[in-house]
Amino acid sequence: MSRSPGMTTLSGSLLLTFRELWAMRLTQAMLAVATLAWLLLSFAMNMDVVEGSLTALRIFGFESTPTEGHWDEAAGEYVSQAVSLDNFLIGINTFVFGAAYFLGTLLGLFATMPLVNGFLEQGRVDLLLSKPLSRSRLLFGHLTGVWITVFLLATYLVGGVWLTLSLKTGVWMPHFLVAIPIITLMFAVMYSVILTISIGSRSPGLGLVVTYGLIFFSIILASHEQLVPVLSGTSAALFMTIYHILPNFAEVVLVQTQLVEEAAVISWYPLVSSLLFGFVTYGIGFFWFSRRDF
Amino acid sequence: MSSPVIDISALHKTYSSGIRRRRVEALRGVDLVVSPGEVLGILGPNGAGKTTLLKVLLGIVRPTSGEARLFGQPAGDPSARQRLGYLPENHRFPTYLTARQTLDIYGRLAGLPDADRRVRIPSLLEQVGLVSWEDTRVGKFSKGMMQRLGLAQALMNTPEIVVLDEPTDGVDPVGRRDIRDRLRSLKRAGTTVVINSHLLSEIELVCDRVLIMNKGRIIRSGTVDEVARQGTGWRVEVDQLPEAFDPTALQARLEESGRTLVVDSGQPATLNALIDALRTSGVQILGVERHRASLEAGFIDLITSGEESGEESSREEAP
Repeated sequence: MSRSPGMTTLSGSLLLTFRELWAMRLTQAMLAVATLAWLLLSFAMNMDVVEGSLTALRIFGFESTPTEGHWDEAAGEYVSQAVSLDNFLIGINTFVFGAAYFLGTLLGLFATMPLVNGFLEQGRVDLLLSKPLSRSRLLFGHLTGVWITVFLLATYLVGGVWLTLSLKTGVWMPHFLVAIPIITLMFAVMYSVILTISIGSRSPGLGLVVTYGLIFFSIILASHEQLVPVLSGTSAALFMTIYHILPNFAEVVLVQTQLVEEAAVISWYPLVSSLLFGFVTYGIGFFWFSRRDF
Repeated sequence: MSSPVIDISALHKTYSSGIRRRRVEALRGVDLVVSPGEVLGILGPNGAGKTTLLKVLLGIVRPTSGEARLFGQPAGDPSARQRLGYLPENHRFPTYLTARQTLDIYGRLAGLPDADRRVRIPSLLEQVGLVSWEDTRVGKFSKGMMQRLGLAQALMNTPEIVVLDEPTDGVDPVGRRDIRDRLRSLKRAGTTVVINSHLLSEIELVCDRVLIMNKGRIIRSGTVDEVARQGTGWRVEVDQLPEAFDPTALQARLEESGRTLVVDSGQPATLNALIDALRTSGVQILGVERHRASLEAGFIDLITSGEESGEESSREEAP
């Protein structure tokens, strides 16, 4: 069955993005890191599971029984108790997914900067714009290619880790996989900044600096509950205004952790406001891209 | 008369740049009509507005005012570009793609179905002489090979109009001849071609009509002969001129040697009037020579003399 011309043009735009990502060795590098992560987990961890309960855990050959405990006031001693297998898995996954969230996004944004540069480069963008597809469709094709690639890479890493641990322990916790859409969505939110600033300023480098700035600033914003009480009225209002406007990249990791732990999410606000920020930023990016001369 | 492929009227484009929003008028009231099957060459010095004119036509740059239509549709309408092929100046293909992959991706972007691409890609690679390089990454291509691949890319969708910005830039003489031959075959097939080039000899050999731009305006339009004739005239060699003889009154000028009179006008009546006056004054005429300027000479004359006959922006119709 033949595709419509619209689908054919979109497939061209997608294919161009995929090939570019592949040629930049970005995809291969991410796949290698992900493979290394779950292979390391697979070989490093050895567990003996007896009737579903954890009796011993060996990591890198050292045998131990993971414990957690509390200080017993009456007895005047620290009372330890065995950690449940579930909690142990949650801990491992939270660590891996948190690292994937922060490091993956930072590295991914850095690696995709040349992609934006190539897309907007004189001699390439004008050739693309001369094709019979609208500017918004062209940009959408580029973005879809990036989003799909990030989604597949996140699936490979998170899914691989989840599968390895599940096979090793026999404990299957599908809610761990919620990290995949969260990593993808938050990457998309931060990519909106690098893309939009690159379109507006023709400087992907500036876009990357601003995006990194927003990520690091979000760590400060995440401490709003501690900071606001010690600020003056005006400063606190200004701080909270910025908090509501800018993406809460760092705070979203808490939402991710709560979802991975299958705990009740205390507040969806950081995720929702970040998605809204991304939505508006993409809107500005599409508007600029549709209006500007190349 | 068939409806024009390109119809541009009162087109203005002003760029603003920098913090002070410095304004540059790239196009200042351009009017142009191009008929189907015509091969039009656009000439002009750097900054004349040639590339901007093409980019407005393709919707890559938005006009400040005026109107540009392609196949009767507003420039920038994607559907109009369905029937167009474009080779930009200094185009850059992704270096990691092979020639075949490049044509496949740009063919997809042109909306060409799979079956058509399977037929067109080998055929075009053959036509531009890149068959033996089809699986080589374009990063290894020379400038000339890139231009030939660019031309193949522009022809992927069998366009009704091909817009080429400096198509022979960086191409060796043999490659230039090949591109010229390809353009001639397009012309025979009835394809409309618009070429923007600095190589006037290329334009002279291929184009039906030439358009000269300067400072954002069309200052001359016509056939190659018509434009070249702007620099055509006569040189009259004489023995000795009497003191009282005033050549300027007869639209002639005396060269420094003092023995050659130059008539810049291409009108025979002007030459005859000069000869009559010389004979009446008893001047011996040693020889009369017609000099026909090349397109290049005509172009240089037009630009350097600052001729602004196109300032009124008369509508430039296809002959």
